[in-house]
Amino acid sequence: MAKILIPTPLRQYAGKQDAVQLAGQTVGEVLQSLTSQYSDLRRHLYNDEGKLRSFVNVYVNDEDIRYLSKEATPLKDSDTVSIVPSIAGGSAGIAAPPVTLSKEEILRYSRHLIMPEVGMEGQLKLKSAKVALIGTGGLGAPLGMYLAAAGIGRIGLVDFDVVDFTNLQRQVIHGTKDVGRKKLDSAADTMLDINPYVEIDRHETALTSENALQILKDYDIVVDGTDNFPTRYLVNDACVLLGKPNVYGSIFRFEGQATVFAYPGGPCYRCLYPEPPPPGLVPSCAEGGVLGILPGTIGLIQATETVKLILGIGEPLVGRLLLYDALAMRFRELKLRRNPECPVCGDHPTIRELIDYEQFCGIPNQTHEPVAVEGDIDPVEVKAKIDRGDPFVLIDVREPHEYQICKIPYAKLIPLGDLPKRVNELDSADEIVAHCKSGMRSAKAMDFLKQAGFRKVRNMKGGILAWSDKVDPSVPKY
Amino acid sequence: MIRIQTQAWDTMVSHAEKTFPKEGCGVMLGSDGVVLEAVPLPNTYTGPQEDFFVMDPKDLNRVDREARERGLDVLGVFHSHPNCDAYFSKRDLANSCSWFSYVVLSIKNGRFDHANSYRPDFDQKEAPKEELIYG
Repeated sequence: MAKILIPTPLRQYAGKQDAVQLAGQTVGEVLQSLTSQYSDLRRHLYNDEGKLRSFVNVYVNDEDIRYLSKEATPLKDSDTVSIVPSIAGGSAGIAAPPVTLSKEEILRYSRHLIMPEVGMEGQLKLKSAKVALIGTGGLGAPLGMYLAAAGIGRIGLVDFDVVDFTNLQRQVIHGTKDVGRKKLDSAADTMLDINPYVEIDRHETALTSENALQILKDYDIVVDGTDNFPTRYLVNDACVLLGKPNVYGSIFRFEGQATVFAYPGGPCYRCLYPEPPPPGLVPSCAEGGVLGILPGTIGLIQATETVKLILGIGEPLVGRLLLYDALAMRFRELKLRRNPECPVCGDHPTIRELIDYEQFCGIPNQTHEPVAVEGDIDPVEVKAKIDRGDPFVLIDVREPHEYQICKIPYAKLIPLGDLPKRVNELDSADEIVAHCKSGMRSAKAMDFLKQAGFRKVRNMKGGILAWSDKVDPSVPKY
Repeated sequence: MIRIQTQAWDTMVSHAEKTFPKEGCGVMLGSDGVVLEAVPLPNTYTGPQEDFFVMDPKDLNRVDREARERGLDVLGVFHSHPNCDAYFSKRDLANSCSWFSYVVLSIKNGRFDHANSYRPDFDQKEAPKEELIYG
């Protein structure tokens, strides 16, 4: 026989007794006997699998049976068995929905609250949600503004850039007055002006393999508003490793894409693109241009998906790549499947931690000093040659529409793509200098001409942008 | 519903304010759904106590035994949330015990702000709010 003390809240299920004498050789036998005699007690002590509930501790006299022989702990007649709950908790972790919305918030979110699909429950989910937004540029601008307006409780912004004039054609979260300011501050000001009830975390850094997991772990959803391949792979892998959905969008010229990666059971970015394109093959927006309104459309598709994921309504854009063509004004959809062989989200992943993404994408380490490339010529020297009347040919390998924006009067326009068929306009006996906007395309032109047998070819370093900086500030930069 | 008498309530608030910015905790004793006495207990969590607390089951066992000798029941437990609202967090839920009322006190900048009481279910899935009357 052993004495079992019944905790006060459970006495109502044990005939209002505070202690029960029961026969049994072990703790397990005695508890078995107790719960068969008072069957209502069972569900308070045991879970459906017949195991003691996680919060139930059993003591024999003053010892926890976990440190004795657990339920096989033998009992003597004089022993007292106590059932004691574990009590712990704390404010950390994701808050269950906050208690209420203030009167002001109820008024603000009225158009959400009157839709049953959102309602009070949904608005509280939005308020409890934490969303990380990588980049406050083209995609980040509409995302930040609408996610703040929708009442997302906490938004973490990651950016290290400064607003410049070329941003303003599309990055509507920043204004002319913000040029020169940190994008983080400018974006946060706009968002807090739209909705002072949101909290904004400012992560003033580039997302790297070293900091990504630490930064992103505190958020429920990650929204990728970046514009380069290394960061895209980094965000993807970090989301897969952390088990957080990655709301993806990308834009180029007149076309965009959006989908949700790393959603449970769905594909990730690597399932779609296992390898990055060779460096330089896909131009960035800075090189290829972008219709200013395009990131608005794509960013708002991302914002819509983010809000749907939080509310748990509708059909998420998972396993579907949405393609948008602004010129045709058409949307198309491609089916995407999770690749069981995917190195990061597949059945047997080989990538279990973040890697060096610059290297993965074939981008040379930028910490090294740039080496002077053979054949480079400084714009100042080009100007001196023109002034001295040196015999040489300056060719501009940009596109005609760029030539319309600004030009160096002395230069002859031969777009890079036309060079093979117009190479006969050049004489290999002449000294030739090629230039473009920033020096990339003219380097390719120089390579082409050298292979075609030209020996005296040079590349104007920094292109017409450097010309504007160093020689003639009246030449506009674009 | 849980009703907390003034003296017990004052003990809870002053303990929660005293332990700020760490979480404070304790047990509520009484009978018939009325808390007559609050017993502060040490937070024995060995990590950062700003957002977590653990009661030593031995303390709880002792308080329960002493209470029953005086004819009182353990009606529930209380703990504080320093500088945040009195919600029932995921961590609260994951560690909850369905036998008790859980009173959560929000302490902001060292002063009591508001409180709520919850009744967690068996499976630690939900903790519905219950009516809380104090003072």
